[in-house]
Amino acid sequence: MNDIIIKNITRIVIPFAQAYGIFIILNGHISPGGGFAGGAIIGTSLILYTLVFGREKGKKKFSHKMSEIAESGGIMIFVLIGVIGIIMAGSFLANQSAGFPQGELGNILSGGFIPILMIAIGIKVASTMISLFNILIDEEKV
Amino acid sequence: MIIEQLPIINLLLFLFMALIIPLLKRKPFKITLILGFIVLILVFISSGYLLWYVNNVEIISYTFGGHETRFGIEFLVNPFSALFTTVISGLALIIYVYSSGDKTEGIEKKEFGRYYVLLFILLLSMFGILYTNDLFNTYVFIEILSITTCAIISIKKKKDTYTSAFRYVMMNEIGSLSYLFGVALIYMATGFTNITLVSESIQTAFSAYPFNIIIALGFMIIGLGIKAAIFPFHIWLPDAHSSAPSTSSAILSAIVIKVYLLVMVKVLYSVFGLDILVEMNIPIILLILSATAMILGSVFAIAQKDVKRMLGYSSVAQVGYILLGISLLSLAGLEAAFFHIISHGLMKTALFLSVGEIIFYKKTRKVNDFDGMGFIMPVAMGVFSIAALGMIGLPLTSGFISKLNLGIAVLENNYVIFLVVLILSSLLNVIYYLPIIILAFLRNEKYHYRMTTIEHTPKTMITPLIFLAILIVALGLFPNVIMPVIESAAKTLIP
Repeated sequence: MNDIIIKNITRIVIPFAQAYGIFIILNGHISPGGGFAGGAIIGTSLILYTLVFGREKGKKKFSHKMSEIAESGGIMIFVLIGVIGIIMAGSFLANQSAGFPQGELGNILSGGFIPILMIAIGIKVASTMISLFNILIDEEKV
Repeated sequence: MIIEQLPIINLLLFLFMALIIPLLKRKPFKITLILGFIVLILVFISSGYLLWYVNNVEIISYTFGGHETRFGIEFLVNPFSALFTTVISGLALIIYVYSSGDKTEGIEKKEFGRYYVLLFILLLSMFGILYTNDLFNTYVFIEILSITTCAIISIKKKKDTYTSAFRYVMMNEIGSLSYLFGVALIYMATGFTNITLVSESIQTAFSAYPFNIIIALGFMIIGLGIKAAIFPFHIWLPDAHSSAPSTSSAILSAIVIKVYLLVMVKVLYSVFGLDILVEMNIPIILLILSATAMILGSVFAIAQKDVKRMLGYSSVAQVGYILLGISLLSLAGLEAAFFHIISHGLMKTALFLSVGEIIFYKKTRKVNDFDGMGFIMPVAMGVFSIAALGMIGLPLTSGFISKLNLGIAVLENNYVIFLVVLILSSLLNVIYYLPIIILAFLRNEKYHYRMTTIEHTPKTMITPLIFLAILIVALGLFPNVIMPVIESAAKTLIP
């Protein structure tokens, strides 16, 4: 696609879309939204970039290897936090009893490990969205 | 302390393995295989230890994040779930060793890693289904299981595998949603999804909202029936099982459909309880379904030319046997069903793996091409014969013991007609299994000269096959070794 209007508008829109996605991820535990919704928004912005600027440039921004690492890494963070619960409190995904700071109700820094889990889910969902899209583009005919 | 954590550690080991495979893609594939083997051995040991622990010390109840069972998710390790997780991990270990030898027939080389990722996620979801004590959590694991199963069926990237995978997805999604609808109705009537809490309050809910409970029961039986390939809902099974690679056919046929049957056992016995079932005449309906499955599954199997499709239809008939044991609603029936789940798991694995070896070397899957195969591939054909004789139910094999137990359980309830059906179905089994054995070993003497050119198969493929054959015979000779565990598993469901 070689349209200057689309390219320039995409350049303007993508930062806002990504900031909105990050906002939704970070506020996941105190307002509607969360890791999945925010991750989907960030993934969509990456898909938009690939659609407008082409697969080659998209590959440079977010390579296949990177998405593989992000996909496995997202779950790894989740599992690690769960294992911390096993070690500290004897129960998988234990929150308060495992000593995670609770913070004040309604603040961003509250709810123990839940913000970290949201970030992990966000990474996982965003990278899954973009890699699913790339697989659909790259797939040869059967 | 650490014992309580074992069930979740089992799940985490599978998840860890599934996550680490994509990261090891650029290393030699042998590292992945060895790591997977270590993980499976560890899980087998830990589930075996759990089986000993729950039978001799106490039942383990584990809640996530330390929440109450009313709010959180509960894992319940009782003799029932511990027995079947051990069986699943043992069978998976055997199949895994075989699959590392046969280069997983028909899969492209770069897809190997993906295949093993799917395999470990499959095992994770099956362990989750058995451990969890929560109806909705069961649904989540069922959904993971059906998606990974679909990916495993379609992994060969051929036209027919895509068709069968699509059919599988369509049928199974209906099944999943029916199950979910049933869970929603139960939640509406009782206010819980935890199985223990639901079973405490279902009797009062039944008198207050009888229609909710009746509709929920119907939806759950049909949903799980589609997934377990109970007779009228079996149409996805033969295609799916015959087009998948042999190792995954073994997993699908020997383990996956059994897991759905076990969920059904859980739903019928622990959630609804025997009183409601008897009041609504569910046993009669299930008995008739199982009888039609036993007869018609075998009749369809006779007509098949493709040996893997034949084994698929044979699975439909065997699901009928297990359902017969379940729907008798007696302790003896449930024990017979559990024993048959284990023995059929062993026999079907042996059949699919030996056929897989023949397909791998001879590139044929027509029943007629098995002439003289016994002289070319004696080990594979020998194991096939032992397992096939077990399917027919000859003495000295585990199939005989399970049919004997089923027959005794049927007679205890005075359903003589179902004993006749059982014997008829065994005779139908003879019609389609025995000709293969006769063709392979007795006919076509011109093949005798090939005795000198016996195929050399890798040790990793031969060893699991021989081990399976030994297990089938050993279980037929000494069934009392595992009977106490099965008995205590059945007693957790029928108090």
